[in-house]
Amino acid sequence: MTDKLTRRDFLKLAGAGAAATAILTGCGPASRYVVREPYTQMPEYTYNGQSTYYATTCRECPAGCGIVVRTHQGRAIKIEGNKSHLVNLGKTCARGQAALQGLYNPDRVQEPVRQNGRGSGDYTTLTWEDAVIVVKDALADNRPGEVAFLLGLAPDHLADLAAEITAALGAPSPIRYGAYGMFEARNTLAEAAGRVLGNRSLPVFDLANADVTFSFGANFLETWLSPVAYSRGYARMRRGTAGSRGHLVQFEPRQSQTASKADEWIACIPGTEGLLALALGRLVAESRGGALPEAFLDVDVVAIAAASGADEETLRRLAALLAGAEHPLVIPGGAALGLSNGLETAEAVLALNALLGNLGKTGGVSLTPELPVHAGNRRLPNTLVELADLTEKMKAGKVKVLFIHGVNPLFEFPAALDFAAALANVPLVISFASFPDETAAQSDFIFPDHTPLESWGYQFAAPAADRPVLSGSQPVVVPFYNTRATADVLLAAVQALGGDLATAIPYKDEVEFLQQSVLGLVTENGFFNAPEINTFWAQWQQFGGWWTADAALTTPLAASALTRSLRLPEAEFEGEGEFLLHVFPSPLMGDGTGANKPWLQETPDPMTTVMWNSWVEINPKTAEELGLEDDDVVRLVSPFGEIEASVYRYPAIRPDVIAMPFGQGHSAFGRYAAGRGSSPARLLPVKINGAGDLAFSAVKVRIEKTGKIRPLARNESRLGVYGEE
Amino acid sequence: MAESKIPVFSAKWSEEEKGKWGLVVDQDLCTGCQACVTACAMENNIPFVGEEDAAYGRAMHWIRLERFWEGEYPQVKATPFQAVMCQQCGSAPCEPVCPVFASVHSQNEQLNIQVYNRCVGTRYCANNCPYVARTFNWRDYDRPEPLNNQLNPDVTVRRRGIMEKCTFCVQRIRKTEDAAKSEGRDVYDGEVEPACVQACPAEALVFGRIDDPESAVSKRMQSGRAVKLLEELGTQPRVTYLKGGD
Repeated sequence: MTDKLTRRDFLKLAGAGAAATAILTGCGPASRYVVREPYTQMPEYTYNGQSTYYATTCRECPAGCGIVVRTHQGRAIKIEGNKSHLVNLGKTCARGQAALQGLYNPDRVQEPVRQNGRGSGDYTTLTWEDAVIVVKDALADNRPGEVAFLLGLAPDHLADLAAEITAALGAPSPIRYGAYGMFEARNTLAEAAGRVLGNRSLPVFDLANADVTFSFGANFLETWLSPVAYSRGYARMRRGTAGSRGHLVQFEPRQSQTASKADEWIACIPGTEGLLALALGRLVAESRGGALPEAFLDVDVVAIAAASGADEETLRRLAALLAGAEHPLVIPGGAALGLSNGLETAEAVLALNALLGNLGKTGGVSLTPELPVHAGNRRLPNTLVELADLTEKMKAGKVKVLFIHGVNPLFEFPAALDFAAALANVPLVISFASFPDETAAQSDFIFPDHTPLESWGYQFAAPAADRPVLSGSQPVVVPFYNTRATADVLLAAVQALGGDLATAIPYKDEVEFLQQSVLGLVTENGFFNAPEINTFWAQWQQFGGWWTADAALTTPLAASALTRSLRLPEAEFEGEGEFLLHVFPSPLMGDGTGANKPWLQETPDPMTTVMWNSWVEINPKTAEELGLEDDDVVRLVSPFGEIEASVYRYPAIRPDVIAMPFGQGHSAFGRYAAGRGSSPARLLPVKINGAGDLAFSAVKVRIEKTGKIRPLARNESRLGVYGEE
Repeated sequence: MAESKIPVFSAKWSEEEKGKWGLVVDQDLCTGCQACVTACAMENNIPFVGEEDAAYGRAMHWIRLERFWEGEYPQVKATPFQAVMCQQCGSAPCEPVCPVFASVHSQNEQLNIQVYNRCVGTRYCANNCPYVARTFNWRDYDRPEPLNNQLNPDVTVRRRGIMEKCTFCVQRIRKTEDAAKSEGRDVYDGEVEPACVQACPAEALVFGRIDDPESAVSKRMQSGRAVKLLEELGTQPRVTYLKGGD
């Protein structure tokens, strides 16, 4: 022993040597049915004082990032990014980091319960055997047409299983809907891609390799589609490739976090984003000479400049920038698509991409091929039209049993949809919620699913990587409470029911369903190869999913992209108020599921630094005219409802627009969420755009003073300790 | 005669002396997403204080993102997000004012460390920190069961009356150094990742040895955009900012 190695060093080294063997091996083969062992007989891969790491999928939003969870003696300690996962390459967002506070949330539903009277809060504990019988009877005692499944946004294994069960049963396909999809108008983007690019799916925008990017409302650094992947793309666009700094221009009425990182922010009038795309298209086409494409033929640049609030000189300068770029890219998204002309806006922007000639190219627009896993199943969420159909059926008493999983309709859906009344009309409502959310409180039974970190599963990652990614989930800890996987409950009920249904759905349990589902991948050219399913499964767990060995995006067929005539109808708005309402999902609260995690509540909002509350953003000049100061409580009134919130004077918003984040305003959902802030979902219209998505931006509101003051907890007011504020 | 074991607290770090560990914050890449803020809280057992205390400025963020506004609508611009954490000053204003040597300089890592079990809560150090990087436990903040299950066993849980701040995740530095030593090698560049650096989706944060001219951190520090916060105070910060916005 050298004189430099002290006894303390020696002891530390003795421990560290053992650590190296324990990283990323996944659970052992016996872990299919996880059991909690006493410390005296720890599983052999667990050492006292050493951490074990498990790869799984973050389920905080539907992006499908890969994570590696550090566990220590059976407890999940820290979430880290999975470096080999192609969506996020080892990175995470704030929401992913705080996911542990969902697992260890003090307000979880801890066991299966029956509620004695909806909304009563009077629960009777059941056994899981009873719960399975309840589900079995619900399937047996009702006609298949009267059974409905309402699931969350993520295209995951449960969606595939529910689709298989409903198909075998003859019941309607599950409806998948959620606030993230609603505020991104995902079907609108997909429908536009179907019309312009010949493929109805969400395109991938190669931001990383673009040198000039125009974003029409897409808030890709916050919540849009796959924020971590696009943040990485943003960083590479700025510095990564060839040392040249990419240029970003953002068109939207309120300067979002994305716009604050842009080189230019064009505060256009809401509803004119598509017009601007057409005008830019025409100017680019003119500068190139030759015949103008049909799509941009009937475009009056001067009139558009006047209508949009962007002056003509700026438009000409921006068009020259696009025309001169080597890798130009334009992205449609966000609130711009959530308007009555949202579909046409998306079409115009995608057609502009076709004109710029970036389809399938580096720094351009591409498509993600489908994987041979339940191929043909719908990966996009349902539209508002389809959701409204279900709501109408419920109101008409045509739905006798409703299964709800992964979504909180009474919080997330626009109140004007009146889902609450529809729900009250369903004789049997079964919620699989892990948390006592608003919808669970109005259910007859709560059969709590494991939280994601205790669960098996897979999820199709939102298109953002350079190839299709099927992200895998495995339990990183033993389930903390007496919860059960919803897939296992459904499969047990189907087996108990017997007959043709049990024959059609032969899976013994969730893991068998998962293994059968991914069987088609074993023979594909993946980044790992395995001769049979068990080896495949071990590597699947180790790496946290499966993706192809090589980049595998396809080029859109844009045969008719430029030959179709594009016309942009004027955006229509509901209500007589003087302010357009701009609602955006909070980057921290997301679809509202962030609100029960105390550290997300205490993480400051990026733009306002507000914590623990919701607020309404008003241009300071407008506020002055109205006699409003920061923290004054105002009432926002739309034709559909009214809410109160504190004023935040936001310098970077159009004077005729007010903005509000979505995610707070829970009336249930645990101690950290309930009774905090207010939800703009009460103000939203039930107006649809051309793709059947909600035109959530199409509403005007009125502001009324209340005379009350409620100070917002803000991080920024503290910084100049001896300064103002 | 044996050397005195009492640390000497005169500002004896010279201008030329390089500390071992340093952080670079590229403000052009930072998207302001707050992943670093949350990651830091999760790694370092930082308590949440609730709305009222947060409104009083008692939130315990070890790292925060500053954003200021320039101009008026429509020519208004948010300044590039600026992540501010303890700058691990070479000549730290917080150190000489501590009456109980709780705020001291570590000889090994050349970090500015806070010894929790010495701290008596005078808050002199926080008053003297020009970066407002220190946070104080005004209460024993509640962490209801079972939230305590996620506590990181590598990091001390602090209680009321204790000052705390960013440590550059010293527990990760030590762990990585130990692992390297057990394999008989040096720590390679990029191997140590504090929680904020590890999470950052835009890779705006880079951590490494600033006494190694070949490290990613040292190379970025040569950039023409490199500045240090309040450099004129002579604090010799270990954190370098790369100006953003152009």
